[in-house]
Amino acid sequence: MPPTARQAAARATGPAPRRALVLGGNRIPFARAGGAYARSSNQDMLTAALDGLVARYGLQGETIGEVAAGAVLKHSRDFNLTRESVLGSSLAPTTPAFDLQQACATGLETVVSLANKIRLGQLESAIAGGVDSTSDAPVAVSDRLRRALLEASRARSAGARLAALAKVRPRDLAPATPRTDEPRTGLSMGEHQALTTAQWGISREAQDELALASHQRLAAAWDAGFFDDLVTPYRGQTQDGNLRRDTSLEKLAALRPTFGLALDTPATMTAGNSTPLTDGAATVLLGSESWAAAHDVTPLAAVVDAEAGAVDFVHGVDGLLMAPAFAVPRLLARNGLTLDDFAYVEIHEAFASTVLTTLAAWESEQFGRERLGLDGAFGKVDPARLNVHGSSLAAGHPFAATGGRIVATVSKELHRARVAAPGGPPIRALVSVCAAGGLGLTAILEAA
Amino acid sequence: MTAAVPPTGDGLGDRRVVTLPAVPALGGLYVKGLAGVATSVVGRRLGRGSGALPDVAYEVAGVRADAARLTAYQHLVGESASDALPAGFVHVLAFPLAVAVMTTPGFPFPLVGAVHVANRVEQHREARLDEPLTLRAWSQGLRSHRAGTQAELVVTASDADGERVWTGVSTYLAKGVHLTDRPGPADDPAEERTPFVAPVPTGRWQLPADEGRLYAAVSGDRNPIHVSSLAAKGFGFPRAIAHGMDTAARALAAVGAAHGPAFVWTAEFARPVLLPGSPAVRVARDVDGFAYAVWDARSGKPHLTGTVRPV
Repeated sequence: MPPTARQAAARATGPAPRRALVLGGNRIPFARAGGAYARSSNQDMLTAALDGLVARYGLQGETIGEVAAGAVLKHSRDFNLTRESVLGSSLAPTTPAFDLQQACATGLETVVSLANKIRLGQLESAIAGGVDSTSDAPVAVSDRLRRALLEASRARSAGARLAALAKVRPRDLAPATPRTDEPRTGLSMGEHQALTTAQWGISREAQDELALASHQRLAAAWDAGFFDDLVTPYRGQTQDGNLRRDTSLEKLAALRPTFGLALDTPATMTAGNSTPLTDGAATVLLGSESWAAAHDVTPLAAVVDAEAGAVDFVHGVDGLLMAPAFAVPRLLARNGLTLDDFAYVEIHEAFASTVLTTLAAWESEQFGRERLGLDGAFGKVDPARLNVHGSSLAAGHPFAATGGRIVATVSKELHRARVAAPGGPPIRALVSVCAAGGLGLTAILEAA
Repeated sequence: MTAAVPPTGDGLGDRRVVTLPAVPALGGLYVKGLAGVATSVVGRRLGRGSGALPDVAYEVAGVRADAARLTAYQHLVGESASDALPAGFVHVLAFPLAVAVMTTPGFPFPLVGAVHVANRVEQHREARLDEPLTLRAWSQGLRSHRAGTQAELVVTASDADGERVWTGVSTYLAKGVHLTDRPGPADDPAEERTPFVAPVPTGRWQLPADEGRLYAAVSGDRNPIHVSSLAAKGFGFPRAIAHGMDTAARALAAVGAAHGPAFVWTAEFARPVLLPGSPAVRVARDVDGFAYAVWDARSGKPHLTGTVRPV
């Protein structure tokens, strides 16, 4: 039905979209599973990251427009994880919050969603974030035990309760730990990526080189003090626990492959060029120009646009983690940009080969023509612009926290470049995050 | 059993239609089936089975699916728990009727020990949880096979208007049972098949040791080779084996909603999946619809292959 004149007029009276700005970020150092945060819950870690942000920007007692965060491995008691974390933080208790979940894209989606609200004039300020703990992961009871317990709790007599509980068998008592396998294929993310790695013929050497660069660049950033205003120590952890300063191509080459062992092609994916299980939390402060000015905060970057994508990995059409390879070309086309227009490209390192298969797809004439509908290859990313301060291979990957880590890091870098070249042409960053379920989320940031 | 009605000419041929008041209980039929094993021992010793299929079709009207059992089936094989009956669930619903045909006196081979070698289902439209179905089952296509004797069990499901919604043909092979009056093996499509080459997998199933018992609970098919490793040993398998229709139903579920409401779903069963098992799987689009394969990830030998194609 076409809109009536009145409806069209009502739409036109809303405030025009305005800029949504990244004002800062704070995370806790990421720790290896079973490490410094082994006894900390998702709520503990998210609250710690929030409080660090509050302290950094003097937001004690302040009502923020909205806080959005999430966790991928989430306990059912955490149905209001973000709101509970806000209530436990030093933000004003009148700060609204909501939970969000989009697998490993959760953190980036909180940034995109809140930035859109700011652009629409619904919010003046917001905090985006994410947290995950693989050490304190929720353990559920088996389906049969759960059903028996629920039936017993609904029973109206002791006899009915006993009858319900009598159905429980010893094997039903085994706990159900969260599985990282794709529910529809039964393959782990690593096994899925091993198929994609083989399909694109990515070498072990290329993967190890990317992993080494990630560690070297993250170490250099820590050493240069780059993270001093982005990270707050927690539970004795002062730097990312997964960072290996002493790693080398020789050490990485000595590791035994862990994924793709059953394939016809040589297995190339190891613990060294795959992201380890990690605990951690990250937050990003967002706001409008007027809110930033009123709070005397220097904007770092603007959130320009975002594009989500998904692939049919269930029927083997594309690799599980290849959605960004399709989403980025759409995003750039909509904004009239090419890969050459980006000073920084951040591709989440779920595995080294995830980055490399994405780049290989963009460099492939055939993929460009047949899958992207272009005249040829989509383009090439200059390695010097890729993940300049390291990424998940070195920092670790607490699933929902990764988006916040990337956005805060690259926004600070964008601002630094802007300060170094004032008044020049736009300085842009591309952010790409793959996720379980064949999902991908991508975004454009621009130096403010 | 009540009065016979004349044949209606929808694939029944001259068969007598015997209307049953309800779908029979499988437990009793298995007792009859095991009794069949005893008589067949005699038959095998003599090296022959009876020469013809019973000329009977069983019918039950007003059959409705049970919501709890449907949900359990859908959860087990990986279907969404919608109110549409998965094509494999209609098979399960009508299975006791097919077993009743196979345990009718004079059926040429015993139920227990017969191997399900192929299955073809044509779904004309989705059957719904809340609609009464008329189910019919009969046998056809008795023929010699290199390894024994083969017959097809036909099941149809029709709606209240008499419109056919579902047709299933299950091919069973009785190894070592030979028909004296039908010498020489008939055409065997299995032997013309090109050798199986394991494709790139799209997934891998984790079938636990009690998968046979879980599928038995939702399907009613408590054939001992699926629920007990001891019984399976008696039939020459080192461990209990997965129900063929469990694995075929999982493949259909992996195709998902893309098959649409009307389709033909085939399965050819090669080696059974020993339990517990973690076979490799490929479910992917091909020229017309979907093709699937399930195979042993280590040896590369096939468990089953099939297609799901639009009608």
